Amino acid sequence: MEYIVEKIGMSRTITVPAVPVTLLKLVDTKVCEVTDGTAIVAYGSGKKSNKAIAGKQKQYSLEANFNRFATLSVANTEAGDIDLTPLAEAKVLKTSMTTKGRGFAGVVKRWNFGGGPGSHGHRFHRTGGSIGNCEWPGRVMKGRKMAGQMGNVKVTVKNEIVSYDAENGILAVKGSVPGANGGLGRVKVAR
Amino acid sequence: MRNKYIENFENAQISEKNVPDFRAGDTVRLAVTIKEGDKSRVQSYEGVCIALHGTGTGRTMTIRKIGANGIGIERIFPMYTDSISEIKVIRRGRVRRAKLYYLRDLAGKKARIKEIRR
Repeated sequence: MEYIVEKIGMSRTITVPAVPVTLLKLVDTKVCEVTDGTAIVAYGSGKKSNKAIAGKQKQYSLEANFNRFATLSVANTEAGDIDLTPLAEAKVLKTSMTTKGRGFAGVVKRWNFGGGPGSHGHRFHRTGGSIGNCEWPGRVMKGRKMAGQMGNVKVTVKNEIVSYDAENGILAVKGSVPGANGGLGRVKVAR
Repeated sequence: MRNKYIENFENAQISEKNVPDFRAGDTVRLAVTIKEGDKSRVQSYEGVCIALHGTGTGRTMTIRKIGANGIGIERIFPMYTDSISEIKVIRRGRVRRAKLYYLRDLAGKKARIKEIRR
C-alpha cells in the first residue's frame, strides 16, 4: 500500500535511549479509478492548473485543489477517499523522496575523494586526478567516479514506524528521510 | 515559529513532565537513573546550571559541579529525558548572562554566585 506524504521535519523522543524521528504528514488523497489494487489518485500541491488537469478533475468530479495525479497501489476497491487502515498495523515503511539537489559537484563533495593539501606549493587541490591507465586499456573504465550532478534524484529508505497519529495523519518514522522539509514523496508499507 | 505538527508531537511527550522553571546560575539537584546490567539505581547529581539550550524535546541543560580534587565536571542532560526522575531547584543565583561559560576559568571564591533572596 502506498501513500503520498509531505516531509514535515525532524524531532526526537524523550525515551531512554532516545529515538530520532522524522515526521511525515499524509497528504489528502482521492482515489479516482481502481484496477486490481493499483489506482489513479489525485492530490493537491500548489495551484497549477491547465486544460488537461481541468479535464481530469471534471471526469472524476474533483475539487480544484486536487491538481496532481499519480498511480499508487491502494487498499480501496472503489473510488473515494484513500483507505488508511493498513497504516495502523504497519511496522516498517519504505519512503521515497527526491534528495536535495547539490548541482554540479566536484569529486571531493560528490564521492568523498580526499583531495590534496591546500598550500605549501601543491598544485593538486580538489581535482579528481588520474582517471585511468595508459595505452592499455586505452579507455576509461565504466563507473569511474567523476564530477557531475549531485542530488535531486529519487532515493528510497526503509524506516521503522515510531508512532502514527491517525487523527492528524502524522507518521513518525525512526531516523532520517531524504529531501527537504515540505517536499512530497511516497511511502510504501513494507511490513 | 516552529512547525505546529512538530510542536504537537513534542508537547504530547513533554506535557506530563514536571520540570521546574530555572535558568543559568541556579543550583539544581537531579535524580539520574543509572542502568548497570539489569540493575538500575538512582544517583543524584548536583551543580550549577551554566547553560540552557534548544527547544522542545531537544532542550538540554549543562550542569557544572566541582568534583573530587577540585576538578570541574560538566554534564549535559536532555531536560525531559526519562532517565531524570526529578529536578529540584536548590538555590536561585543572581547572574547577568544566559551562558555562564566564564565559570570555567574561575576557581575558588571567584566562582561563587550570589543568591537571590526573596
